[in-house]
Parts: sequence; C-alpha cells; structure tokens
Amino acid sequence: MGIRIARKTVHLEGHCTVEEALPLLEALRKPGAHKVVLTKCQGLHAAILQVLAAARPAALAPPADPALAGLVMPFLEASRQVAPEAPGAAA
Amino acid sequence: MTNPLLARFIPEARELLQVSASGLLKLERNPTDETAINEVFRAVHTIKGSSGLFDALALTRLVHAAEDLLGEVRSDALQIDSSLVDMLLDSLDQVGQWIDELERRSALPADADGVAHRMATQLRQRLGAQDDAPDGGEPADGPHEAAPLGADPAPIEDVATLPPALLARLPAAACLDAFRRACGGQAVHLVRYAPEAGCFFNGTDPLQAIQQVPEALALDIAAAEPWGPLEDLDPYQCNLHFSLLTAAPRPEIEQAMRYELDQITIASVRPRDFVRITGEASDGPIWEDFREAASAFLAAGRHDELRQAVSALRSVAGPTLWRRQALDWLEVALLAAEPDPGLVAALVAAAGSGRFDPVPAAPAPAAPAPAPAPAPQSAPQAADSRQELARSVLASQHRALEQAGYDADRLASVGTVVGNVLLSLGRDADRTAIQAAFEAAREARSVAPVLSALSAVLDGTPLHRTEAAPALPAALPQAFEEAAPVAGAKEPEGRIAAKSLKVDQAKIDLLMNLIGELVVSKNALPFLAKRAEETYASREMSREIKEQYAVIDRLAQEMQGAIMQVRMLPVSEIFDRFPRLVRDLARKLGKRIDLALEGEDTAADKTIIEALGDPLLHIVRNSLDHGLESPDERRAAGKSATARILLKARQEADSVVIEVQDNGRGIDPVRIRAAAIAKGVIGQEEADRLSDQEAINLIYRPGFSTAAEISDLSGRGVGMDVVLTTVEKLGGQVSVSSRLGEGTTTRLALPLSMAVTRIMIVEAAGSLYGVPMDMIVETVRVPRERIRMIKKAETFVLRETIIPLLRLSRLLHLPDQPRGEADAAVLVCHVNGRRVGLIIDNFREGMDVILKPLEGVLTGIGGYAGTTLLGDGRVLLVLDLRELL
Repeated sequence: MGIRIARKTVHLEGHCTVEEALPLLEALRKPGAHKVVLTKCQGLHAAILQVLAAARPAALAPPADPALAGLVMPFLEASRQVAPEAPGAAA
Repeated sequence: MTNPLLARFIPEARELLQVSASGLLKLERNPTDETAINEVFRAVHTIKGSSGLFDALALTRLVHAAEDLLGEVRSDALQIDSSLVDMLLDSLDQVGQWIDELERRSALPADADGVAHRMATQLRQRLGAQDDAPDGGEPADGPHEAAPLGADPAPIEDVATLPPALLARLPAAACLDAFRRACGGQAVHLVRYAPEAGCFFNGTDPLQAIQQVPEALALDIAAAEPWGPLEDLDPYQCNLHFSLLTAAPRPEIEQAMRYELDQITIASVRPRDFVRITGEASDGPIWEDFREAASAFLAAGRHDELRQAVSALRSVAGPTLWRRQALDWLEVALLAAEPDPGLVAALVAAAGSGRFDPVPAAPAPAAPAPAPAPAPQSAPQAADSRQELARSVLASQHRALEQAGYDADRLASVGTVVGNVLLSLGRDADRTAIQAAFEAAREARSVAPVLSALSAVLDGTPLHRTEAAPALPAALPQAFEEAAPVAGAKEPEGRIAAKSLKVDQAKIDLLMNLIGELVVSKNALPFLAKRAEETYASREMSREIKEQYAVIDRLAQEMQGAIMQVRMLPVSEIFDRFPRLVRDLARKLGKRIDLALEGEDTAADKTIIEALGDPLLHIVRNSLDHGLESPDERRAAGKSATARILLKARQEADSVVIEVQDNGRGIDPVRIRAAAIAKGVIGQEEADRLSDQEAINLIYRPGFSTAAEISDLSGRGVGMDVVLTTVEKLGGQVSVSSRLGEGTTTRLALPLSMAVTRIMIVEAAGSLYGVPMDMIVETVRVPRERIRMIKKAETFVLRETIIPLLRLSRLLHLPDQPRGEADAAVLVCHVNGRRVGLIIDNFREGMDVILKPLEGVLTGIGGYAGTTLLGDGRVLLVLDLRELL
C-alpha cells in the first residue's frame, strides 16, 4: 500500500492517493539519482503523476498493469525527454 | 423514494417554482417591482441551496445561473425584459421537469448535464462581461449538437484541431478506426480537460475523472506550465492538462464529467485530422495513372468506380508503401454515404504524388490551441465566505466518496478533512457524529454511513458558526460589511417563521372519517332517549340524555366544521397557474390578453379545488382559442385590441361559484346549430326547436367541436363535455351564457365541501332510501285523481307543467305495496336537466351524512351513490338518480 522508500529507490504500490504526493516529492528532492518502481502500482492519483513528471527520476520501472502503464507512461516518458539532465538532482 | 430529504425537497421546490414563475410575470408587467424581484430571487436561491444536497448537479447549476442573472436584475445592473423572462421561465420549466423526474426515479435524466450546461450558458450570456472563462469556448456547440452529423464537416469553429501528441498516442489501427467512425457520421469527440489548480483539495482526482469517460480512444496528459525546479513544486497544485479522444456521444461524456463540466470543452474532430500516413516512398507510372483516373471519377462524382479503382490498386501495391497506405485511408473515406469531396481529393492527390497536403478547406494545422488556463483563484476567494467554503468542501468530500466507493485510505483522508472542517466551524456535536459514522463505515466496509451522515450535516442546519470566530478575524467582518448594505437596502428584515404546518392529507382524511363516525354515533342518542322514555318509562332519564345529546351535537358540529376548514384551500391554488398559461398561449396565438383574477381567497374543499383545475383549464383555453379575437379583428369590431378574461370566484350559500368571463366574439347559436347537425349530434328538427340558450348548451354534448381545424390548444371535440361530466361528478353545475359579439361567461357552481352530503330519507317498498338533497326540487302530495295517463306513462300537472311520474319501487325492481292512500307522495327531482316526479311511499326527515362509496364486490352495482349509517345503526342506501333514471 502506498509508498515505500528504500534508499534511492521509491516503490509505489497499490493505489497511491493524494496524501502520498508529499512524501514522494520529499524523497525525490534528495540529491542523487533516484529510481521509482511502479511495478506493483495499481492506480495513482493525478498529484502523484505530476510529481513523477516534474521530478524526472533517473530510472522508472513501469507498472505491471498494462492499462495503467499505457495511461501514465507516455506522459512520464515525454516529461523525461524534455530535459534529460534532471535539474531536480541539483538540490 | 427512499430519501426523506428528497421527499421534502420536491414539494417545496415545486412551491418555490410556482412562486418564482408568478413573480417573474409580475416583474414583466412592472420591471421595477422590488418585492417581486426579491421574492423570485429568494425562491430561486432556496431551490439552489436545497438542491445541492442531492445528486442533481445539473439542476443546481441551472438554478445557479438563473440566480446569478436575477442577482444582476436585483442590483439594477440588468434590465428585465420579455425575452429574459422567457428564458428564465423556460429554465424554471426545465427545473420543474427535473423535479418530476427526481420524484419518479430519484435521479435526473442522462442528458440533464448537457441541457443544464447549455441553458446556463445561454443565461450567462445575458450577464455579458461576467461570462465564466471556461464557458467561452463552447457556445458554438449548441447548433452542432442538433445538426445531424453527416460526412459533411461541421462548421470549422465547432471542430477541434487534434494535438499532434494525442494523435501520436493513437495506434495506427485505432487511428484508422477513428477515421472510419468519423467518416461514417459517428462523431469522434476531443475532450480537453483543464482541471482547476486547487482541484485536489476538493477531492477531485483529475486522472480518475477523465478515465470515467467511456469509449476512450487515446489520452494525452501534458503539463499546463513547464515544470519549474523541484524545490518550488507544490504537489497539491494541479498542473496537468488532459486531452482525450473518445467515440462516446456527447451526452455520455457530459454525464461522465458532470462534476467538471465547466473545466472541459468537447468538440468533434474532423475526419481529415486523423489522416496519418507512414511508410516507404515508392514511385511508378501506375500511381500517376491512378491519379488521373481517380481525379476524373471524382470530378464526375462517380464514387463507385473510384472505389473499384482504389481496391484494384490496393490489391497490387505492397502494404508497407506510403502510397498504399494513402489508399487505405482513401478507401475508408469513400465508405461514407456522402464522402467529403475535399478530403477524398486530397487523398487521391496524396496517393498520386506521395505527399499528403493539408485539405484545402482546413486551416493549417496550428499548434494545439491552448486549453483555457485554470483560474488560479481559489485562495483569494476563500475568505469570502467560510460557510460557503465549508459547505463546498463537505459537498465535494461527499461526492468524492460517492464516486470512489469504499477505499479505506480514501475514507481515512476524507474523515480527517471533514473533521477539520467541522472543528474549524466549532460544531463539535456534528464532528462526533461524523466520526462515529466513519467508524461504522470502516466496520461495514461501505461508505454508506458516512454519506448519509454527511448529507445530514449538510442539510441539518446551514453551516452556522455556533461560536464566535477566533480564526479569520479580518475576513469575517469584511464579508459582513459587503453583505450588509445589500441586505439593508433590498431585503426586508428576517422572514417570520411560517406558522403553517404541512400535514399528510391521509391524516386529515382519517380525522374526517373519525368525526363522521362520531356524528353517526351521536345520532344514536335520540333513539336512546326515546327508548328510555318508552321502554323504561323514565322521562327524567330521557331528558338528561337529550341534554347531553345537545352538547355533544354542538361539539361534534364545531369539530366537523373545523376539520372541514383544514381541508379548505383557496381557489388561488388553481388560479395561480393561469397568468403563466394565458401569457404563454397569448404569445403563441398572437393575441393580446389581459387576465384578471377576482376572489382568489374564496375557499373550498381540497377535492373540489383539485378537481376544478382541469375543467377550468379547458374553459380558459377554449376562450383563448375560440372566444377571443386577434387584435386586428377586435379593432375592426370596434373593441379595444387587448382582450380580457376574468376569472372570478365567490361563495354563494353552500357552493363556490367560479365564473370565466371573456369579452370576445361570443357564441353564435346559428353556427352551433349548423355544426351540431353536421356532426350528427342532433337532427335538423331538434335543432329548429332549440332556443338560442339551448343551442349554446350543445357545446357540452360529447363529440361537439366547432373549430374549423384542430389546434393544439383546444378543438379536439373533447373538452367541454369533459368539463360538464367532471363538474357534475362533483355535484356541481355548469352554465354558459353568451352574447354574440360581446363575450361569453361560463359559470361553474360546486358544493363547498364534498365531505358531508345533505340527503332526504324516503320510504319506498317498505325500506328507507336516501336521496341527495341537491337533486330534489320540491315535495308534493298529489291526489290520485290528478295523476293522468298519457299513453302508458303516468304524469301530473304541477303549476301548468306536465311532469312525468315514475315509481321508485319499480325503478328498484321491488314489488309495489299498494297503500290505499288518497294522495301519492311525489318527490320532484331535477335530473339530467329535466324534471321528473318520483312516486314514493312516504317522506322522512332530512339528514347530514357522510357518504361511503360502495366498495368491493358492490362496486359494480349501479343506481346507488353510496351508503351511510343511520342513528340506530341501520345502513341506508343513498340513491344516484342520474344512474337510476
């Protein structure tokens, strides 16, 4: 359920609600290259989605659920391509 | 209907709609009438407020728009005129229909959101500059919706340019499929959704919302503003835009996005925008030949041959070639019943040249039009009204739960939000209640307890602060200051709580029945007194019983009177709908009509009032349609151009009399006679014998209608005879008087109350029967020798009129009991417009009774109006002479 942070890897699992946007953002604000694993994610709130899009984590494992992947991955991939040098990592 | 709140809301809303409609009519006549505008505004405001509690967002939106408009009128920023009144009345009618729908199905019809949106947009257009920004892009959608979607492209402003990113999301096959649908006339819609920045706070998940749209083909998500540095990112400000391509029809989209309608735009996509050709370049004379042949077919409009040429070439060209793919598109485009010539020509050219040029009619595919920017406004407005805010937060939590169903996480977060809101308002009791509801919800794994608790809190009391506000000290006084001058200038001091009570009619009926029983039991006391005197020889006892009886009798009568008063309604109940009706019909018919009402306070029993509605409607419509002339005709006849209808009610003895007077052309007895003969209602001879008044009465015969053509108002040949039967069923009378060229007066006379019927008890064939007093003209004793036989019929002469005689015992198929008296007791009655004498055995006393209709297996027995109980417990049958004769 929700967010699980293991060092530089953030696991988003189950249904991620709006409350998890802030912890996720805080995790991704920490310096370094982050990996976000969505494999076990079954649904996410738009707030989570926009944090992921804005933070452009270095690596992103797509959700296993193909419907969800089809929904969010094009957007997240596109966001990462806009600026491959993630500026968020500077902080 | 399971929801008790809804059950209360529906009658209240109807009443308020009626108030607003009559207020609007007053305003139309006198635009400066401040009382009227305040009344209308208050009514509409109340509907808006209460409707927010139910799943009737569309209704609330529409009423809200009307309220905004009225607010402008109220503050003199907007002048009210007939077209505005029309619009508002139409909106109220729509709301009325929705209320009916809510009553029937507890839900609004599927198209309600769209209808509300369009009507609200229209209303808001009258507001001019204050038009909501997101609505701006949409008014053009109205006509588009109505137009059948052929292959003919809709007007350009109606269609959307597809953002390239969205098109790229669409797999090639789906793209071709969408193209096929669009060419085939099924609209493919582009939904642009720009959620407001603060939407996360009211429980909206835009991602989830957009996924509710059915038949989605492709979804593109984009950042509204480029992402800034991560440190500055506010995760709770929504910065996403959505574009969705869907094959769903517009109403379904509107239904799915009904909470977000002001943040979305829906537009149909032109087929040509789907065209996307990829593949290897190729060349060869075959393409050039095709282009020439195809262009020729196209120019000649020979689509079938063009289709053949396309399929022939498709079968030989390699499927990976660019030009072959162009042919695929072309083939689909040609499938349409009426292919779009521009599109087909462009595709033919593409197949020929290996390059797809934009279709000439289409504007160059511009960059995706920026969707309306979300208004970053939620924060500054927050201080405006805490209560509004609190209410809206609670309402949004309610609907978020309703949308999402049970989800423990979400439930917990909603619980926190609701708790905090109530805490900040100082409503601790409610907070405890809500928390209990959340506990219950967690145990039951269902959101139902929370939903109902939230509804209750939303409804309970308007979200008042019960304690002084320590927080927001600056904001509140400011809000009050803003409100104060308006209230002082326009609003009369707080309304006095209504002292009336709403009671279910069944309860009153029960009281009525009980008092009826009491009257009957009371009638047993004189019998008892008689027995005390005769059987037990106690004169003293008898006298005391009679004294007690007098007291009980008086009390019972007063009680009966009081209960009957409760059932009395003023005729304004039915009169009130006429101003609107007359106004609308007059506008439709191009007549000018002034409606006057008199004696609206006259009261009569609820059953009478309610049953009167339809007959009165028929009469007034008839007057409008046939009786009143057009302004030109009236001027030619030397009358004022504006016709007049007067509805007048008054009480006359035991009946209420309602008159409908018009000063129209009057009824022409000659025409009536001619029409009656033509329609076979009467024969020529009978027609000649009729007096003018009798001829006029012919309009009440079934199957009679003089209107040359049937209009939708009246003249279907039903109507006036319905009036007569309805009124007579209620024990009333109808009469018409008319002067040619001067007008017609229709007079309805009805008993004040149906509850108590006065009857006369008569003896026939050894039994007692009741005869309703209103049918009896007089009672006479006729000496045997004055009864004459005309052929086989007995008659007698009463004041120089021959009156036919009938024997009641024979009518009832009972054996005659010759009594050998010198005179016969004759009851002269007025039945079906004629006098008839009934020979009975003896007259007995008159009596007030409560008639019980024949029920169960007795229902079918004709000739009896019902039964009642006599004082000694016997059942008395009351005759229905109309049926009997």
